[in-house]
Amino acid sequence: MAGPSIDSPSAGVLESLSNDLAGAVERAGHFVVAIHARRRIPASGIHWRPGIIVAAHHTIQRDEDITVTIADGTSLAATLVGRDPTTDLAVLRVDGITAPVARLADASGVRVGALGLALGRPGPAITASLGVISAVGGEWRTWHGGMIDRFVRLDISIYDGFSGGPLVDAAGRVLGLDTSGLSRGAALAIPASTVNRVADQLLTTGRIARGYLGLGMQPVRLPGGLVERLRLPNDIGLMVVSAEAGGPADRAGVLIGDILVAVGDTPVADPAELLAMLGPDQIGKAISVRLVRGGEPTSVSITIGERPQQQRSSRRGR
Amino acid sequence: MMTEPLATALAELAGGLRRSTVEVRTGGAGVGSGVIWTADGVVVTNAHVARSDVTTLVLWDGRTVSGRVTARDRRRDLATIAITGGGIVDGLRPATIGHPSTLRTGDLVVALGNPLGVAGALALGIVHALEPGHAGRPRWIRADIRLAPGNSGGPLADAQGRVVGVNTMIAGGLGIAVPVTTVARFLSDAGFRHDATGWRAA
Repeated sequence: MAGPSIDSPSAGVLESLSNDLAGAVERAGHFVVAIHARRRIPASGIHWRPGIIVAAHHTIQRDEDITVTIADGTSLAATLVGRDPTTDLAVLRVDGITAPVARLADASGVRVGALGLALGRPGPAITASLGVISAVGGEWRTWHGGMIDRFVRLDISIYDGFSGGPLVDAAGRVLGLDTSGLSRGAALAIPASTVNRVADQLLTTGRIARGYLGLGMQPVRLPGGLVERLRLPNDIGLMVVSAEAGGPADRAGVLIGDILVAVGDTPVADPAELLAMLGPDQIGKAISVRLVRGGEPTSVSITIGERPQQQRSSRRGR
Repeated sequence: MMTEPLATALAELAGGLRRSTVEVRTGGAGVGSGVIWTADGVVVTNAHVARSDVTTLVLWDGRTVSGRVTARDRRRDLATIAITGGGIVDGLRPATIGHPSTLRTGDLVVALGNPLGVAGALALGIVHALEPGHAGRPRWIRADIRLAPGNSGGPLADAQGRVVGVNTMIAGGLGIAVPVTTVARFLSDAGFRHDATGWRAA
């Protein structure tokens, strides 16, 4: 009739794939929780370690009065351990949670073409979408300066309430945490290794320290004559478009309109390159910054401060 | 390699389901789809597809037959069309009807239909959620599957090609299907009766 005949070599492959997928959803669904921390529909989270839930920072829109709903329908109070807006991750602690914890897949499972299921619990029931990992790249830095171990783009629908839920393989093992909050709504997965690293740090210190200059910058092309006359390292600099009053750069005398061309001997042509120099270990250290001010070279010494914690999330993403 | 048998199985499943799927034309702009429910020519579609009482149906092999709307339920968004081709239409193959209670979230589903007028197009996805209704019957089947206008009224089937729902709308990127359990109640209310051989007009 409608299906493949019984003696066909293809008989049963769709049924067994279907069973695998439904089985993966059922198994993994036990460690996916609903998180109630915003006004609209709940978001998703993963029971990562006993009593520890990881979620997408941008879906946690309040710091208190957070509850989670686990697979059996039980609602439990959760406390926010900490959040890292730069990687869009947050960690919650839930006492008395009986659900199993996530089973992680080997990182080698993250490859282009691998089938993946995105799971979410934007309500009482587990929900799922299917697709493939569409692109995999190396380590990358988010717009907010966080380091993610691998770039993992998904051709999988991340529906409303799915951010914070897991990307799982066909055996229900976790490959990463899904979010639409890191790349203008595009579906990305944060690899399990990054989730582990950020969770460790948040559990130890409650926050992710970041170096901070208090500057807003915009790349600008410098006139050839100026580059030659001042023997600048390249023809692109970063123009200061804002300086936080009382911030590290402001205290060092940096002015709006200054053009930053190098830090020490390293030319900078991209705000991301500068962010990369502001790791937690740099806080409190002084850097020498080469500037062009009014067409003349100058340099200032800035003592790197610590980025103030961003309390509220923006409302991007799902 | 399992991709070859997988592709073969999908092609066979699509081929079978395509024979039980019709294109529904009502004279206005756009087309919808329908499912051949009985061997004597009863087609189930959406009420919003069967807008006029007289319709033209295009079978999988390109034959065009006329149909008359015999029942319409706007609340459930379902309708029946009787093929009136002026005599017996040969080779009508009713769909194999499944049961949504066998479905789990994550199960593969396929849709057949005429999205944006492309005849007999296949879409593959999974069950996203079974929205609870009364007495253990789902109210809707939500599917993570890419549908378009023209899929309305067409079949949503499981991995064995058994029809489990009638594709009815797209909401939030999800395909929403009326479960066949709801279709059975609609048919029963419309005076059809069911026996071991399937549904018949009373």
